Amino acid sequence: MSRYYYYLVLINMIANVIASVPAILLHFHDDGAVSAMIVSVVAGSTLVFFFTRFFTHFPGMTLPELLQKTTAKWFYNPFILVLAITWFIAGMITLITYTFLLIRYLTPEMPIIQISLTILLAVILGCLMKTDRVFYTIEIILLLTVPLIILIFIKAYTNENLRWEFVKEAALYFNQFPNLNAFSACFFLYLGSANLIIFNRFFKNKQNFGVKQITLIVAISIMTLFTTYFIPIGFNGVEGIEKLVYPWITTSDSLRMKFSLIERVLFIFLLFYLGIAFLSILIHWHVSIELLKYVFNFEKFKFKGFKFGVFLPIPFYIGVSLYFVRQLNEYQLFRLSGIFYNILIIFFPMMLILFFFIKRRMKNVKKAEQN
Amino acid sequence: MLKKRNKIKQFFLLIILILTALSGCGEFKDIDKDVFVSMIGIDLSDDPEKPYKVTLKLYVPTSSFKQSPKPEYTYLTKNGKTLTEAIRILETHSDKEIDFGHSKLIVIGEELLNANKSKEIMDFLLRRPDIQMISWLAIGRPSAEEIIKMVPQSETAAYPALFNYFDHNGTDSPYIVTTYLFDFRRKMLETGIDPILPLIEINKEEEHFEVNKSYVLAHDKKPHELSSLDTLIFNMMTRNLDVADLVINEDNQHFIAKIDNINSKYKVKVDAQHQVKLNIDIELFGYISESKDTISNQQLPQYSKMVEAETREKFSDFFIKMLNVGYDPIGFGLAYKSKTLHNKRMSPNEWNEAYKNSKVNIKVMAGIKSTGSIQ
Repeated sequence: MSRYYYYLVLINMIANVIASVPAILLHFHDDGAVSAMIVSVVAGSTLVFFFTRFFTHFPGMTLPELLQKTTAKWFYNPFILVLAITWFIAGMITLITYTFLLIRYLTPEMPIIQISLTILLAVILGCLMKTDRVFYTIEIILLLTVPLIILIFIKAYTNENLRWEFVKEAALYFNQFPNLNAFSACFFLYLGSANLIIFNRFFKNKQNFGVKQITLIVAISIMTLFTTYFIPIGFNGVEGIEKLVYPWITTSDSLRMKFSLIERVLFIFLLFYLGIAFLSILIHWHVSIELLKYVFNFEKFKFKGFKFGVFLPIPFYIGVSLYFVRQLNEYQLFRLSGIFYNILIIFFPMMLILFFFIKRRMKNVKKAEQN
Repeated sequence: MLKKRNKIKQFFLLIILILTALSGCGEFKDIDKDVFVSMIGIDLSDDPEKPYKVTLKLYVPTSSFKQSPKPEYTYLTKNGKTLTEAIRILETHSDKEIDFGHSKLIVIGEELLNANKSKEIMDFLLRRPDIQMISWLAIGRPSAEEIIKMVPQSETAAYPALFNYFDHNGTDSPYIVTTYLFDFRRKMLETGIDPILPLIEINKEEEHFEVNKSYVLAHDKKPHELSSLDTLIFNMMTRNLDVADLVINEDNQHFIAKIDNINSKYKVKVDAQHQVKLNIDIELFGYISESKDTISNQQLPQYSKMVEAETREKFSDFFIKMLNVGYDPIGFGLAYKSKTLHNKRMSPNEWNEAYKNSKVNIKVMAGIKSTGSIQ
């Protein structure tokens, strides 16, 4: 598999740390979060496997193109629209979460609209780029931030204040029935490969996805899940952990780099995660805008030969995001992300069924083309 | 080609236009309009209406180090019904914005500690996002205000001397306990481990601090003071200490063993009748650093035996004291919880009872390797 594919998977996994995923998981720490994590590893990697296998059969083809070839118009237009909205919400949740973080910890004096606008402008300019350029952006930013984020994780693991007794205490809740909300939050980590519905355009050569590749993804995901869940517990204890609004922010604030340029790791952490959050929103919204291009024929909006159709969804994107940034409070955001994750665990397995049909019909299409 | 260049020019023009709109950063405060808090002190005031007395130590900004080679601070003190109220009024006493983001030490007055208000204080300290979770927490005797207002002679500009005690960077004495705010929080909330805070005292005549005692505390319980020796034992049990001195006074032999390698382990065993057994394993290695009589090389094994006996006695004194008051600073309860499935654990109350009646089993292995440079 091309390395660009792993970027998609990896970003969704790393980005969850600042999203509501750890907060949801830790909220159910004594109510089946650990078992939900174990179940989600199995379910999530199965989904990743089938999703990726499906797209390796059709190199360079996006899902809307496949749908147009195999299904009726009344089905694929609304369906793609729903997909676009889903991806838009995914990006928006990251945006709002990160805006809240910034105003709470980094720039408490700045107006919230200004904070979100600065992120929005960068993202909007980014997601109008061509798919391959998006990939190159991802690569550069990942190369800059991920080594330093991994350094912070290593610092956390080697810190003397990380008490493994807390971790063990929390891990001993494994014998409970898996919690649905916790499961869906973990499941979200695996949905990075779903971005292939558009990004598959980039993989024009036949890709190879087998046992070796899925093992790598499973290993990375277990490590990410473990870090996401147990490091905050090791630093903040088990009891009262559900009271932390941003568990990972509190955790990074509990780290101290004695001889570093900046002693308080929190600021370094926030800065690097700004990059990751940007990438996460960029990927989701790029997919969303590209999907919209299949639903609406943007080509026909012209002014003196200048095609401005592509820019039409942008005011809508900015407007909706700003509206929700102002309207939502932390609890509502937490609930909204929870509900969103819950919907996704039904939505994506259903898509697998759809893929099954597409695959069968594509055989017929190919036969017809040969004749 | 020309057309493309024109387009690029237009693009840059547009960017410049957008940039002009960014010029006014009305919300941003310049650094010289901020004043940084270096320590926060919280005391119990005399006024029952306004129980909290907040003292802030502020760095006085100077333009260069040469201008003021000596440390300079200003202090703000105010009583308040709540902590926030006191701070809100303090903000009107300063011409600059008070920035808590750089405060590294929070001192709580001894009286306030006994007034059982730790919940409110903790809530305030944790809820404010600008207070660092890695700030140190300590108790001040006689009061936080006096601790904060004292500037010892050894103090250098820009780095308060008090920080060096907890930094493990200046002094690294085995008698000093270091507690971060997040550590205090987790121990306070968790059953099975109790928070411990260092006690800062003032030596008035010589103008320096003394940090060698500590306090163990819990909700709804009278705080218990640990003596210097108990603090040392606590540190030997929990921290990876490098050095410790043990005074040995047995069989007419009086010497001091300098320990340079300590390994301590503990295990909690609970049987079916909820009888708790605490197995403590200590290994000490070191040499003799001071003695009243001459010491013989050949008798090193005997000296080791003496160290073992003395250490066992001191440790068992410490643990019996802890069991009697029901405090658990080392975290035996946590160790028990980390080995027992959640549905088979005792309830916190059951554990507290069982802990008080537990049997302590101390095993000491000492190795005195040398008599120092002379015999």
